Amino acid sequence: MCGIIGYVGFRDARTVVLESLKRLDYRGYDSAGVAIIDKNLKVFKEIGEIANVERHIPKIKGTTGIGHTRWATHGGVTKENAHPHLSCDKKIAVIHNGIIENFSTLREELKKKGHTFRSQTDTEVIAHLIEEAYKGNLEDALVAAVKKMKGSYAIVAVSEDEPGKIVGARKESPLVIGVGDSENFLASDIPALLKYTKRVMFLNDGDFCTLTNETISVFDANKKQLKRKEELITWDVKDAEKSGFAHFMLKEIYDQPDTVHQVLRGRISEIEDTVIFPEHVEQLLKKEINSIHIVACGTSSYAGYVGKYLIEQITNIPVFVELASEYRYFGTRNENSLVIAITQSGETADTLAALREAQISGCKTLVITNVIGSTATRISDGYILQQSGPEIGVAATKTFTSQIIVLFLIGLKLALLQNMLGSDELYEYIFHLKKLPRYVREVLERSDDIRSIAKYLKDAKSVFFIGRGANYPLSLEGALKLKEISYIHAEGFAAGELKHGPFALLTKDTPVVAIITQDETYDKILANIGEIKARGSKVIAIAEDKDTEIEKHADYILRFPTDTKVLPCIQITVVLQLLAYHVANLRKCSIDKPRNLAKSVTVE
Amino acid sequence: MKCVILAAGEGKRMHPLTYTRPKVMLPIAGKPILEWNLLNARAAGLKEFIFVVSYKSEMVREYFADGKTWNVKITYVNQGTPQGTAHAISVIESFVNDFLIMCGDTIFGINDIKNMIKKGTKMGVIKAENATEYGVVELKGNQVQKITEKMDQPLSNIINAGVYHFNKQIFDYIRKTEKSPRGEFEITDSINMLVSKESMEGVLLNEWRDVVYPWHLLDANEEILKKIDKKIRGEIDKNTTILGNVIIGKNSRILAGSYIEGPVVIGDDCKIGPNCYIRPYTTIGSRCHIGNACEIKNSIIMDNSNVPHLNYVGDSIIGQNCNLGAGTTIANLRLDKKNISVILNGKKINSGRRKLGAIIGDNVQTGINSIMDVGTIVGNNTFIGPGAIAKDEIKSNSKIL
Repeated sequence: MCGIIGYVGFRDARTVVLESLKRLDYRGYDSAGVAIIDKNLKVFKEIGEIANVERHIPKIKGTTGIGHTRWATHGGVTKENAHPHLSCDKKIAVIHNGIIENFSTLREELKKKGHTFRSQTDTEVIAHLIEEAYKGNLEDALVAAVKKMKGSYAIVAVSEDEPGKIVGARKESPLVIGVGDSENFLASDIPALLKYTKRVMFLNDGDFCTLTNETISVFDANKKQLKRKEELITWDVKDAEKSGFAHFMLKEIYDQPDTVHQVLRGRISEIEDTVIFPEHVEQLLKKEINSIHIVACGTSSYAGYVGKYLIEQITNIPVFVELASEYRYFGTRNENSLVIAITQSGETADTLAALREAQISGCKTLVITNVIGSTATRISDGYILQQSGPEIGVAATKTFTSQIIVLFLIGLKLALLQNMLGSDELYEYIFHLKKLPRYVREVLERSDDIRSIAKYLKDAKSVFFIGRGANYPLSLEGALKLKEISYIHAEGFAAGELKHGPFALLTKDTPVVAIITQDETYDKILANIGEIKARGSKVIAIAEDKDTEIEKHADYILRFPTDTKVLPCIQITVVLQLLAYHVANLRKCSIDKPRNLAKSVTVE
Repeated sequence: MKCVILAAGEGKRMHPLTYTRPKVMLPIAGKPILEWNLLNARAAGLKEFIFVVSYKSEMVREYFADGKTWNVKITYVNQGTPQGTAHAISVIESFVNDFLIMCGDTIFGINDIKNMIKKGTKMGVIKAENATEYGVVELKGNQVQKITEKMDQPLSNIINAGVYHFNKQIFDYIRKTEKSPRGEFEITDSINMLVSKESMEGVLLNEWRDVVYPWHLLDANEEILKKIDKKIRGEIDKNTTILGNVIIGKNSRILAGSYIEGPVVIGDDCKIGPNCYIRPYTTIGSRCHIGNACEIKNSIIMDNSNVPHLNYVGDSIIGQNCNLGAGTTIANLRLDKKNISVILNGKKINSGRRKLGAIIGDNVQTGINSIMDVGTIVGNNTFIGPGAIAKDEIKSNSKIL
């Protein structure tokens, strides 16, 4: 997991590379470095955030450069291990995202041939492999080097002998070409490019490319020229910036009335009551489906759990939620089962591996993702875009709510195909779905109330979240949000499970956040709250506006508006997000960049 | 000599028209503003162009491509996030030596461009009636002494017209230029440094039309239409009247009973009439329909928009893909005959015009018998319901019922 940028053109490469790296730092930020060709190759690297590296780089000329922001996988966080890595003669510089699996064998071989290594990274072998194969043409040497490597990679390299040229290669790690005027770019992700161009070309696995200021050539390992389509990105630099909020996470929480609207737009028809997916996934959503396996990691898997409850409620189809990292080795498969993979970035390595496994065993695969053109959209049988816009904050917020809505729409579609849903019922669902953005906005307006409750959690050592039904995975998500940004230990439990073990951990200093909706389990969860109160713990209830009974039971209450049983989970999620945000903010944590975490995890 | 045209700006004061296109792509007399500058510069003898682009640059690139259609060579340079005019010029350093540079949103005359490309560092200046909104230029003979931005009490009425002839030296001064109080790198600051060391000639221009607010498009449209010649490529039915200089594009049909008083430009594939009245200084885009009992006067109607039945449109601009319901009328004159004020981006501005109708964005639909008051701004994707009255500034995606 790292961020990569390469530039060749007419601008000051130092500025372009540093500016672009700042937009990639959600991909990792433990160390960074740049290499710029200014007559000869100059390399600067430092530990810490990019701003720190910037301070150490003198103003140099040069209009060709590469840069890297690192999230360590092989070798510790040291200046030596930061990229770019150099060949022995210091004429070739390489940056890399991914893992070279056979690097220790390669390293030994290269050492025998007389190469000296300066770092512990797998990446450094690439620089020496290229040097070994270099006969005056960098792309030929890169092709030869890649042939020896096993693993995943996005590589960008420059050579002092060929200024004005950058070369790249990708397999299973993201790399995109930014098409400019009299300049060209390579980057791990689009936000890095948006300041300079909105035209991009996506590379496929196994592609190589050579960029000069005027030309772009894409080719395969046999140097056969390939055509890659130029696409236009419709979002703005503005979309990728904080637009006045203190943190990206807060901005993204506040984006939700809009993203909820976006994900519904064009999918629920105003005229004839039906659910449509413009992405043409009809061949996947058939009534013959006998089961659904949702594979995902982290927050996406919790969205999957919520989806399980929602889909099973309105269809006859059993839904199994599996962690991608487990499913790929241990999952069960059958041909009439639909595998739905959820990955915001479309690049999550574990989820991609699970997708490939599912396909090998003959399952149809459907991906829910936020990034068109991502690897997941290309290797699956179909995809549905969640339309959330770029998410920069490491803690997922708006992408989570959108994923839940997509899953619910899939459920509605399947229920229609199975004739499980009357037109009246469907009309009612659609009617209430349209109200969601308004409810979300109402929750956001209550942010101050949530902040005043957050102070009761800020000094806790440990917090429990409980719920029943779809509120159970929401309690898992609430706990995940709290732990990842505020560093408070938090656990989510199905409310009925408390007495089967977790009660042993409950003390009067363990606040419990209970999610309560007025469904068939209402009395049960009130009883659970009673049990908790009996042990002296404080209870913070997240309850419906019209629920008056709860006042007798909970110590503090956070309210959300709803008038239906359709997806109150969206409003509840927003309450949980704001709660976690305010606790972390009161604790002065680094909200957008929690320690040890990175936005999209492209290693397994 | 290369001709650099600054075409990166969004043109916030042109909202809502610039939500969907960059300012330089706004159409006047059937062509984008930028094309008029390209044509005039070509007529003055320039063949090599550099367009500095940024906001919605893909639209500029798609329209002009490499310039072959115009027999010129166009190179594009993306400014990135705009940080002022000096920043825009700094990005082209490696592309130019001796060069002419002009603002793409101001229309310059052919003879003036010829004077500007004569040898030596020059700056175009123009006499303005009201100099408060511009950079005022102090001259000694024809030598530029100093530029002062936006003075409340201007020292003279000579202003900076936005066209310059520079050589490589300007980049040294740009490098020394610091951010202005409004947070931009301004080329006028660089020029003030330049004129303290070197000489710069002020060239008084004869023609100049800068386009700041939407209604300025109507002025520019009128000025250009005054110079057009008659050219009819479409089909004209019997019993139509066409007076004066009128351009009608290919495949457009003018049906019986239409009365067209030039100068008027009508694009390709339009259906005009039957029985409509089109009055002078009107530009109609391509694939438009003007129907029965409609009157249009001194207006710009962009592509794919319809004024289909019983409508009056005067001194107005209608964006793309709009449709007026039967009986929708636009007021263009106050009953007290005073100047019309407009609320744009929340700010009230005196348009200086006695006659001004509505400025309508893209994808706007109106219901039957709806009314728009003088100076109404209608944002994109807006519905005006049947019988509704629209006035002041209406945000995009609104429903007025």
